[in-house]
Amino acid sequence: MVGLSIGEKHFIQGGIAQDLRTDGRKRLSYRPISVETGVIAQANGSARVKMGKTEVIASVKAELGRPSSSAPDKGKVSIYIDCSSTAAPQYEGRGGEELSMELSAALRQCLLGGKSGAGAGINLSSLAIVDGKVCWDLYIDGLVINIDGNILDALGAAIKAALSNTGIPKVNVSSTAPSDDQPEVDVSDEEFLQFDTTAVPVIVTLTKVGRHYIVDATSEEESQMSSAVSVSVNRGGMICGLTKRGGAGLDPSVILDMISVGKHVSEQLMNKLDSEIAKAEAAMEEES
Amino acid sequence: MGGSTNGATDLSSEMEVDAFRRLFPLRFHERHLLESVRPDARSLGKARETSLALGAVASADGSALAKIGCTVNPTMLAAIKMEVMTPAKETPDEGCVAIDFHMPPICSPIVRPGRPAEAAPVVSKQLSDTIISSGMIDLKELSLVSGKAAWMVYLDIYCLDADGALFDAALLAAAAAFSHLQIPVVSLNDDGRIVVVSKENGGDKKEKNKPVNEEKRKLKLKNIPFALTCILHKKYILADPTAEEESIMETLITIVLDSSCQLVSLYKPGGPALAYESVVQDCIALSRQRVKELQKVLNESILDMEVD
Amino acid sequence: MAAKGGAAPATYSPSPTTYKKKRAPIFTDVDWVRPDGRDFHHCRPAFLRTGAVNAASGSAYAEFGNTKVIVSIFGPRESKKALMYSDTGRLNCNVSYTTFATPVRGQASDNKEISSQLHKSLEGAIMLDTFPKTTVDVFALVLESGGCDLPVVISCASLALADAGIMMYDLVAAVSVSCLGKNLVIDPVSEEENYQDGSLTITCLPSRNEVSQLTITGEWSSPKIHEGMELCLDACAKLGKIMRSCLKESASTSQE
Repeated sequence: MVGLSIGEKHFIQGGIAQDLRTDGRKRLSYRPISVETGVIAQANGSARVKMGKTEVIASVKAELGRPSSSAPDKGKVSIYIDCSSTAAPQYEGRGGEELSMELSAALRQCLLGGKSGAGAGINLSSLAIVDGKVCWDLYIDGLVINIDGNILDALGAAIKAALSNTGIPKVNVSSTAPSDDQPEVDVSDEEFLQFDTTAVPVIVTLTKVGRHYIVDATSEEESQMSSAVSVSVNRGGMICGLTKRGGAGLDPSVILDMISVGKHVSEQLMNKLDSEIAKAEAAMEEES
Repeated sequence: MGGSTNGATDLSSEMEVDAFRRLFPLRFHERHLLESVRPDARSLGKARETSLALGAVASADGSALAKIGCTVNPTMLAAIKMEVMTPAKETPDEGCVAIDFHMPPICSPIVRPGRPAEAAPVVSKQLSDTIISSGMIDLKELSLVSGKAAWMVYLDIYCLDADGALFDAALLAAAAAFSHLQIPVVSLNDDGRIVVVSKENGGDKKEKNKPVNEEKRKLKLKNIPFALTCILHKKYILADPTAEEESIMETLITIVLDSSCQLVSLYKPGGPALAYESVVQDCIALSRQRVKELQKVLNESILDMEVD
Repeated sequence: MAAKGGAAPATYSPSPTTYKKKRAPIFTDVDWVRPDGRDFHHCRPAFLRTGAVNAASGSAYAEFGNTKVIVSIFGPRESKKALMYSDTGRLNCNVSYTTFATPVRGQASDNKEISSQLHKSLEGAIMLDTFPKTTVDVFALVLESGGCDLPVVISCASLALADAGIMMYDLVAAVSVSCLGKNLVIDPVSEEENYQDGSLTITCLPSRNEVSQLTITGEWSSPKIHEGMELCLDACAKLGKIMRSCLKESASTSQE
């Protein structure tokens, strides 16, 4: 936990009120973001994202599975976040479980859309291979390496980068198998299909300190927050998920204002991320 | 002993009743027993007021709420869900009944999430043993297609408010849930699976799959068991104890009689007081009365439902 | 725990809910009737009662259509030994489902997630500094799940907290809307929840006009969020009134 003296607290709060934060940023500007893709060789896609001192890794693994009986024409996605004890000593053992669960749930909500699949960042229908028989199971794992505030945004960005780094092997289904048997599938190890990430949203967390809200808060700033709203916005400017943290209540009009600010900021973040991801991909190709 | 009792008696005239009850629970109860009355104004052999409501859970095939005591609050909720299974080879035309008794954290301050109550598995086992051995249900009635499919009856009983004599209330709720049970009409489809015949598609193309159990919508219940738990304390017998009484006076005896007042089972799980033959006889006599009461309550609840 | 010896055989439910057909076409049309015949902007009738469990320090029972919930409050009582000293009180929430709560036996959704959401919704309303060093346990049991489980649990829990005499800034009322095609429907039943394109759940403190929790899933445009929030806040205010009158009623009967 962050231990701050009264003087330091006032310094942080006062800076935010005057639109000049302790690290020289404005209220609505991000720390430098760096993206590195293909960091895990065994995964189908992976990325490391750093936002200031906050550092996370996301990996995507695709495996063949059986669709669930309630949605035979869709693949399955599971998202799991792990808070490593390297990030903070209190996450050792089961200590990080609660935070991990909260983050996983928030990301699932932002990326997978409503029950009918509307507004999902990941198109589950594109993961189907043979209706009701075979589909891709996508395992998205996030690892939090270092925490200095704003983990949810960083994880959202890392998952987006990892997904655009993901190649899903081409599958040939032999048509000879009888219809009621499990069909034979042949997974190609040369041809890969680029995963479509145009619909994957970015997550913007607005942290309310005093009467103002800031983006990309550091741990020190987060310790002064009264509440925080995380909005996920896709390329079309639609809201695909929203969660609120922190106990203090908010006036409904403030929430609506925060949503519109979040939407505005998300455009910049989306462009920034896209160019960083493209840069990272180019760097990786040069290496190989 | 005599001196301290006197001391307490003196104290009791000076202290508030509630404080005395908390500080000297045993003496508080013993004072009552001397007057042949209990803190809730019942006489020693009197069980609490009991009522039943059938069909409390719409998502179950049969359900019942039992209320014990004069409050409006339900004590036990029992519900039955029917699923299909392949019967065991040795008994190709018999179904199966699985009974589980739950004590969720809401029911008592001593139960916490992740740490289930010790009493729950004990009551579970007692319920299974009693219901199976009483012969209330003929497992053959649960057969659908001999050797292929039979009903698996899942009976789950939830204690909503733990206030003593859990087994008695649970058994009553279980029996009531069985009397409310409405078995769904099912048919065998082309894949060899059993499916429910719904009202909408009953008429059209699915007609070729004839329902396999049209006449067997209700179970014939015979020898319904009823239970009465008593506390044995010194020379006193207290019927249908509350949680407070159970925690203070530890010897319990549970008697299960069926509707024709035959003894189904008798539990006396240890305790400091010994049950002499005459005491057991007295308990059985109390149970006989209770069976009559409970049978009336059950019949009335069934009638109430049919009227609705 | 099978009554007969040996391992319980594998069973399946014969009801057709296990293999659902495609989403019913009516939901995509503009004009359709809700499964229970309600107006789109009409909540289910709410039945609330405090004091449902005698063994607890406070409790409440809530019934919204087929959704039936009991919440018990225990404490403030001693915190777990392992926990460190804290000069504010702790709130411990747990939600569980009965095995028969859902149409298919034992298929209840993730309790841990619901428990943590309940905790987040309530903590802002409770004056934790009034019971330092101790814990208040909020335990909920969903007897039957008929849609909108979490909002019902939240509202019922706040009523139970009031019944237990735990100090709060305000009652907590929660309502959710579902987005189905072009329409917003309030207080959806399970069937609607299964087909929904998106959902918006608001937890608020009605007399302070503050939102303590807001969750949105699915794709929403800003005007739609606006519309949904207004619907919910309006319903929350009404629900708050019902909860208040329920408390008044129980207080006046206990005085007699």
